Amino acid sequence: MPMGAILVENLVKDYPTRKGVVRALSGVSFRVAEGEIVGLLGANGAGKTTIIKILCGLVRATAGKAEIFGVPTYRAEVTRYVAALLEGSRNVYWRLSVEENLRFFAGLQGISLREAKKRTEELIHFFGLWEKRKVTANLLSQGMKQKLALACALVKGTPVLLLDEPTLGLDVEASHELRRLIRELALSQEKTVVLSSHDMGVVEDTCARVIILSRGRVIADDLVRNLLSLFRTRAYRVNLRNGLPEGVLSKLSVRFPTLRWIPEERALQVEIPPGGSFYELVDLLREAQIEIEGLSRSEPDLEDVFLRLIQSEKKESQ
Amino acid sequence: MNRIYTFFAIFTRFLIELKRYPFNTLSSLATLYLIFLLLFAGARYAQGFGVNIFGEGLEALVVGYLVWTFALAAYSDLSWEIMREAQQGTLEQLYMCPFGFRFVSLAWVVSSFLSSFVFAGVLLGLMMLTTGKVLHLPLGTILPLSFLTLAPIYGVGFVMAGLALVFKRIQAFFQILQFAFIPLLFLSGDSFWAKALPLSLGANLIRAVMVEGKTLIELPTLDLLMLLGTACFYFGLGLGIFKICEDLAKDRGLLAHY
Repeated sequence: MPMGAILVENLVKDYPTRKGVVRALSGVSFRVAEGEIVGLLGANGAGKTTIIKILCGLVRATAGKAEIFGVPTYRAEVTRYVAALLEGSRNVYWRLSVEENLRFFAGLQGISLREAKKRTEELIHFFGLWEKRKVTANLLSQGMKQKLALACALVKGTPVLLLDEPTLGLDVEASHELRRLIRELALSQEKTVVLSSHDMGVVEDTCARVIILSRGRVIADDLVRNLLSLFRTRAYRVNLRNGLPEGVLSKLSVRFPTLRWIPEERALQVEIPPGGSFYELVDLLREAQIEIEGLSRSEPDLEDVFLRLIQSEKKESQ
Repeated sequence: MNRIYTFFAIFTRFLIELKRYPFNTLSSLATLYLIFLLLFAGARYAQGFGVNIFGEGLEALVVGYLVWTFALAAYSDLSWEIMREAQQGTLEQLYMCPFGFRFVSLAWVVSSFLSSFVFAGVLLGLMMLTTGKVLHLPLGTILPLSFLTLAPIYGVGFVMAGLALVFKRIQAFFQILQFAFIPLLFLSGDSFWAKALPLSLGANLIRAVMVEGKTLIELPTLDLLMLLGTACFYFGLGLGIFKICEDLAKDRGLLAHY
């Protein structure tokens, strides 16, 4: 069993405002083992960034415990173990070159000049920034700035890495490249990574485990594959060559209440109820002389899981 | 992990940014020199009417102006830097230094002091050329005296930096405060209360060194002890208020916002 890298226990955070106290976290608890890659998912205001900032020691918790390798996160020495990429690319000095930025952040961590030089060169090669190493950050593309910001977090050589919206503002290609780099890094350098994002694709692509937050509470904490299988249904999509004649949908709906007609795709979407059979639907369509063009089974993705969990949490709280 | 490497990184970045913004550096120097020229012209004009507006003479004006420019940099550099860092999104990264943000700030303050010293040296050279007055420059005396004179102002700088963390926009307050230093520079410095205020005793001692040619040993021991005491008191007070503001900012999650 790997050692616990991060411990969060009954974490509460209240922000005092002019209109009163706003509760951002209401008793959040979780643990992250060494070498794990965990995603934090949640809508705006769910508490993701607050958790990350408490773990970096940038925000003080109102109550509860947050520790990294046993060090409380309100102590400055916690930063020996943790580095963070916050708010995308806004973490680098725009008037410093790629090389100067990396050396500065290594020095800030108290790393010797020789070691800083070595790490800087390694990271510049790893991120494919060699050609741009003398270029100031303000002249880099958004994707390169984001890579540089990630490299600046990595140059510190901490075992824990916190990434808050690492792909924010990136185009699809740059986002996929950054996801690949995060996966590679986590595996090759055995980093413990906590990644928060609005983008389900980023979390699904990079994290084995996901913690879903809603209004400052953890509503799910499991492996991505377990959550997906939990919500896996017998859902099918049936494409019809000539569309659906009038009146047929109501007849079919008696037997299959979840049946939905998508006219623009000329497709039927259906979830087979327990005890039901997909062949029954095929038989009914054949009887009505409707020609099937194709069929596919639809698998839930993390976005479906997230939406269902959030919806059921809302229903429960009402 | 070593604090020396952290200090070196901060000092190097300070120098790189100075070099990368040459126009800003040179225009600051030109502005201060132009203000001095105006003061100098005014003093010469007044002397024509038999009015000596700068007491003992132009030497006092040169030294007073020099200490004032030094003080301006001392109290504003850190707070401007904090506002700039918060604006560009790097302040939180500085807070993640294993030696704490106060160490980062102190390293910044030392870098700023060293660069101000060079800057003040250039300005002094220009002022001596303009006035034709040659001042005494025993570096071994001036360097520690300047440091102790400016320590309370760095304390004020930490208070301003703390206020910048919490309130973000404090530029108007800055402008008021820079003129509040002027009377302190020209207090006679005989009474206990005048000596206990920031800047006045130090400015008088620097004047005694640069104008009268006194050395550190020749200065009154009690005055030197008083200077050391005020330096520690105001600097410590500034750090204490900064810590309170820092805690408030962390509690309210204000470090990243501008």
